[in-house]
Amino acid sequence: MGGRESLMARKTGRVLVVGAGIGGIRASLDLAEVGYAVTLIDRSPAPGGTLTQLDHQFPTNGCGMCKMLPLVDRDASSQQCLRRGFFHENVEVLPSTHLASVQGEAGRFQVVLDETPRFLDPERCMGCGLCETVCPVQVPDPFNAGLTRRKAVHLAAPCAVGGPYVIDAQACTRCGACEAVCPTGAIRLRPEERKGFRVLVVDDERIVRDSLRAWLEEEEGFTAETAASGAQALEKLAGAPYQLMLLDIKMPGMDGVEVLQRARKDFSDCKVVMMTAYATVDTAVEAMKLGALDYLVKPFDPEGLMPKIEGLYRDLRKAAGRHLEVGAIVLCSGTSCHDPADGKNPFGYGVHPGVVTSLQWERVLGGAGPFAGRLLRPGDCAPLRKIAWIHCVGSRDLQSEADYCSNICCMACLKEAVLTSQKAAGAVDTALFYMDLRTFGKTHQRYREEAVNRHGLRLIRARVHSVAGDGSGQGLVLRYVDGEGFAQEERFDVVVLGVGQRPAAGTDVLAERMGLPLNAWGFFQAEPFSLTRTVREGIVLGGAGSEPRDIGDAVIQASAAALEASLVVHRSGGALEPQPPSAEAVPDVSMEAPRILVAVCSCRDAPSGRFDGSVLARRLSRDPEVKEVVFVHETCTETGWRALEAAVEKHRPNRLLLGACFPQRQGNRMRALARDHGLDPFCTEVADIHRPLFSGAEGPPVLQEVDYILKAGLAALKRIDPGPVPTASVRQSALVVGGGIAGMSAALAVADHGLGVDLVERGELLGGNLRWLGSTLEEDTTQTLLEETCRKVQSHPFISVHRRTEVVDCSGEAGSFLTTVKDEDGSVRSIAHGVTILATGAVEAVTQSHGYGRHPAIVTQKELEQQICQGGLDLERVGSVVMVQCVDSRQEPRNYCSRVCCGATLKHALYLKRQKPDLAVHVLYRQLMSYGFSESRYTEARKAGVLFIQYEVDAPPQVRLAETPGQGEAAVSVEARDPIIGRKLRIEADLLVLAVGVVPNLPPGLAAAFGVDRDRDGFFQEAESKWRPVDALKEGVFACGLVHSPRTIRESIATAQAAAQRALRLLSRQQVPGGKRTAGVRASLCSLCRRCIDTCPFGARSIDPDSGRIRVHPLMCQGCGACAAACPNDASFVTGFSAAQMLDTIDAALDPGQG
Amino acid sequence: MIQTAKLDVRAGDSLSSLRELFKALLGVEGVEAILVPQTLPGSSMVMPVLVKDPAALENADPLAPAFPLNGAGILSKLTRKPLGGKVAAVLRPCEIRAFVELVKLRQGALDEVVLVGIDCLGAFQNRDYFRFVKDVAAGTTALFCRTVLSSGRMPLPGVQIADACKACEFPVPTGADILVGLYGVDTDDHLLVQSRSARGMVVMDALGLPEIEEPPLRAEAVARVVAQRTAFRDRMFEETAGSIHGMEKLAAYLSRCVNCYNCKVACPVCYCRECVFATDVFDHEPFQYLRWAARKGRIKMPTDTLFYHITRLAHMSTACVGCGQCSNACPNEVPVMELFRTVSHRAQKAFGYEPGRDVEEKPPLTEFQADEFHEVEGMTGVGK
Repeated sequence: MGGRESLMARKTGRVLVVGAGIGGIRASLDLAEVGYAVTLIDRSPAPGGTLTQLDHQFPTNGCGMCKMLPLVDRDASSQQCLRRGFFHENVEVLPSTHLASVQGEAGRFQVVLDETPRFLDPERCMGCGLCETVCPVQVPDPFNAGLTRRKAVHLAAPCAVGGPYVIDAQACTRCGACEAVCPTGAIRLRPEERKGFRVLVVDDERIVRDSLRAWLEEEEGFTAETAASGAQALEKLAGAPYQLMLLDIKMPGMDGVEVLQRARKDFSDCKVVMMTAYATVDTAVEAMKLGALDYLVKPFDPEGLMPKIEGLYRDLRKAAGRHLEVGAIVLCSGTSCHDPADGKNPFGYGVHPGVVTSLQWERVLGGAGPFAGRLLRPGDCAPLRKIAWIHCVGSRDLQSEADYCSNICCMACLKEAVLTSQKAAGAVDTALFYMDLRTFGKTHQRYREEAVNRHGLRLIRARVHSVAGDGSGQGLVLRYVDGEGFAQEERFDVVVLGVGQRPAAGTDVLAERMGLPLNAWGFFQAEPFSLTRTVREGIVLGGAGSEPRDIGDAVIQASAAALEASLVVHRSGGALEPQPPSAEAVPDVSMEAPRILVAVCSCRDAPSGRFDGSVLARRLSRDPEVKEVVFVHETCTETGWRALEAAVEKHRPNRLLLGACFPQRQGNRMRALARDHGLDPFCTEVADIHRPLFSGAEGPPVLQEVDYILKAGLAALKRIDPGPVPTASVRQSALVVGGGIAGMSAALAVADHGLGVDLVERGELLGGNLRWLGSTLEEDTTQTLLEETCRKVQSHPFISVHRRTEVVDCSGEAGSFLTTVKDEDGSVRSIAHGVTILATGAVEAVTQSHGYGRHPAIVTQKELEQQICQGGLDLERVGSVVMVQCVDSRQEPRNYCSRVCCGATLKHALYLKRQKPDLAVHVLYRQLMSYGFSESRYTEARKAGVLFIQYEVDAPPQVRLAETPGQGEAAVSVEARDPIIGRKLRIEADLLVLAVGVVPNLPPGLAAAFGVDRDRDGFFQEAESKWRPVDALKEGVFACGLVHSPRTIRESIATAQAAAQRALRLLSRQQVPGGKRTAGVRASLCSLCRRCIDTCPFGARSIDPDSGRIRVHPLMCQGCGACAAACPNDASFVTGFSAAQMLDTIDAALDPGQG
Repeated sequence: MIQTAKLDVRAGDSLSSLRELFKALLGVEGVEAILVPQTLPGSSMVMPVLVKDPAALENADPLAPAFPLNGAGILSKLTRKPLGGKVAAVLRPCEIRAFVELVKLRQGALDEVVLVGIDCLGAFQNRDYFRFVKDVAAGTTALFCRTVLSSGRMPLPGVQIADACKACEFPVPTGADILVGLYGVDTDDHLLVQSRSARGMVVMDALGLPEIEEPPLRAEAVARVVAQRTAFRDRMFEETAGSIHGMEKLAAYLSRCVNCYNCKVACPVCYCRECVFATDVFDHEPFQYLRWAARKGRIKMPTDTLFYHITRLAHMSTACVGCGQCSNACPNEVPVMELFRTVSHRAQKAFGYEPGRDVEEKPPLTEFQADEFHEVEGMTGVGK
């Protein structure tokens, strides 16, 4: 792979990303796309994290993971389903690897990575699956959350078709059956390096010596020798090095302690573990003070003993693990699910097979799940009529030490119930038992309503007491207390537990290794006003390791973390400007007739044992454009690959077709080979001949099938267009519209990379809503943040601030926009920029509800905040405060949750209670959205005596103004119905505070100028709410802050950083390539009907006003081919998929092979 | 918007009255010219003629049962770019519908057009028309109209209107600005003139014709014609479907085709500047022909006959207005129209699309609707 370095225009600097779930992949891609090198590790054998288990995600109820793949410079990365694997030129993916240690500081961390023994060489595995058929071990399959069983050797995930297989080292008994059948010798259960681990067993009892030696050698594959006495042991130690000595304490002559002392002195590299009987445990403990690592108590139980020795082996190997220097570390360690069997288990999880977790139900719904997607009850496969979901199992629960909301479960349960109802075509009753239905995302409230109105979900606000069997065997009885306080019972066939999130296993160990603090619930603790920064500079938090997050928020968090990491690397000398690629220019062979080398990979008896290779060669050679057909032995090995390179050198083709296994694994290697040997990388092709060679008897004769697979490859290769990849030039500066905290953060993030920013603010001052906000729910003061950010922005050499300035219009596309702005004097000028970041914010909604405006005692949350900050609130004469939530919110026309109001209410309620503990504070709410760790503030507020009374949207609180103010009568009174006591209440209030929510500030004209859509509530419409959360569909335009969606300050800053990171992909280079597979237009054939413009989902096509022709923007076009399909006469085409090429390929594939 | 008036007919000569109407149209402010079928000097042939001089309307004959080409293409040539004045275009219903499709495909524009549609009595295929005019020396148009309108029969035994016309459910123009009605009207006394759009209203006002009520019998007369034609159409669908089912039958159906591509040239909605079949896409490698011949033992030349028709079906069937010009143009009597109408009918039904219905209605395939065609979703079993 000598060419790899040269093909990457790699910037200096490397980042380590820990965890290859959604967050880790997003962060890696973000950094890789900017040009940094990334090492992405994951302790599991396949990337993807939890998401590989979720087939459907709301709100689309489908999967869209591939939408994370690069949109520009697309050829640097795989362009296939991410569940099947992922590569990017700048990302090194290390599965089954964990972080052993971190030293150094930001910009220069020395990390040690430790690889879990895999026992199976993934390069040699060709996925035939023979190993799996012979494996005698069966264990519960974690992929299906334990609902099915799998072998100890298995595919990492069902979608990883073709392998490589992985061995579950914990479950594997090392029986050797798989090793014996593996046709490529990929499996080595006793790898050579284990033999290098030498153990000396010292004991005067022969039976102990011999049995230990047998275990160590035969079961574990180590080298073991024995000594019968202390003297003999020292003699052996002097003769050869040992890594470990198992040393008996009580021996005649020299005892173990003495041997230990001498060994520590003379052979300090040898670790010592004492062996002792119960009687001498004290001595063993003493021995540890003298330097023994541990002690084992005789008699030994091999089950307990061997893992200990295995652990020691690993610890020793770790020292020899991979050392790496990285500039920054992004932690995307993720979460795990709460185990409902822990504790009192009132829902009978693990007792009744019909009680499952939400993850298990996700698998039942999945096509690769236990019932292939059919709705059946785990356990007895009974058909289903009634299913219940119980929310908050292990969340918002002091008993399971989880005084926080897990954020994702409400929507996950809703989605599962919707999918279930859809799958059953409405024939299944779906009931959800919840406390507050936390639909705090932008579109979630409407999703909830559709779930009820269209899919018939029953939402029951109730606390479930327990789940028990109904006595008949499999049915379940769910007991709960309804909203009115009455005990109820209902029967269900299946009960799904909406389990909460916990930090991923090992988070505490990781934190300790990195010196990072954890919060009260074991999640990583971020710094104030940041979701990503930790106490240790250069180590940042991505994904859900610091708080449970849904996909969209995890992706934003990951991009924000990538930005922080990028800044750290940049500051420590990693340049954003690329080093010029040293690769020679790709030869232009477009005018040459094809000279194709066909190389067919061979191994074992394939293909020679299956058919006569010379027949194949003769047939292929009939094609006048095939120059040579060669057979290369085992291209999957280094030797084989070198032989292939030699063949290329010898025959000097201008196109190369390789027939081998797993084309998807060859991407990077083939390109490197092409560039090293003067081939255009696009003139190489890998045809998959794995199936005919290894799939057994079915199908057409092997020769015939290989023949036409190769001929189809030839057809594609012959007609390939070897022209250059289209690029767009990029003006390396950004325009940020809006000078609130999000806009300023985005501007700083870009400018700190040494790139210019124009920041346009229509107001007099920078700061936006931060100007009136005093503090956060976390009790951090915002003024320092405001002042510091403003100071940095105003004094930044790369930021030009345009205050009192408004945007008039914008033209152009990604890479080169031209925006016209006007200042308050009316003078107009133009700003040229490469990307646009919209941060136009939001304001508190205007209301006329609940008597607002008719009495000074009725204020909004914002007004209360201002009164508190400015000291204008006199609590002397206030005895009772009522706060009303969701005023005009979460109902049409503003049917969305503003996300920040419940937090503000809790903050104010707690403040008031602290100021005046005997103050009566009533909060009238619909669903309290204290998501995440702010749940603990909700608990705190209840403890402080704040009364929370729930109301329904169709029975809102009624406000009456006092007729005769003064005279001890409160200014207003509020009437509401308390569902718990079942009565109407009348609350006198001296202060009525309304939570009115936020409305975005994105006028249609401004949105149109930048070519972005607004959602139905006027917020910025993202390209995809989960996978491209800060991008507009139009490339080069991004949004952050409140105009994107309602968010807290730190969440807004994260969106700003994410937007900046997305912008840096484009800004980091002067010329950005699109992808080889880009659409084009043959103007001579084009009738200008513009169907292609209407059809293009990316807005990449327009009519060029100068030439009157259709133009395709190279960065916006994604090569999807919709235009080519819409165009009737092939005037629109996609490079690499020309009609002629496709026709010939199809024809070759249909050719039965006699030609 | 709908305003009905009468155009008096003297001595049963409706053609003269129509010519008067056209003359009047030329007098309307802003109308620069009129495109109308005329008998060409020294010939019996009727072709679209662009008339500027009111005196040059004496041979205008839009009622002749001749339909040598679909005028939508001609009008598209006139309106692709700004014309600098309005043109009134006298068209058959299928010509108007084809033109609306072309406008959707930006091959023409409605801004400078006044569409004048006349109730369509159908037309002969070219060779039948030539026989007809040869056999009936004079007054052919009048004879045809009178016979068809009075009895629904043909004036000459053995000469029939084209099958496309027999199967056409649109005898009354849709999408016209001005409609000239014949069905259910006492055409010996007067013709019906109706405005059908805002633009038509303006023209009607300028024409100043006496208003009348729409005759009560008209709707019934139209319905009768439509029912008759629909019945014919459905029989045709049934017969054609039976003879094109499967590749082998389809190959036999198209076996007379010589890849002359006349049907594509004659098709009004086949709008490509250069057909893909005229480009190098189907210039196969010479080696390829040998391979094909080797594979099957023989190969019919030219090779892409079926593919050509299937491609055209894929491209045009949602826009097909059933004018029948493809069959009219075929030198070898391949029943192209029957094939296209049968397939188009299903395709158009599947998309709920009717070509020419509304210029605002987007052609299928340019609009993506997430919630449609669930029956063809999910390639289950693939990749197992």
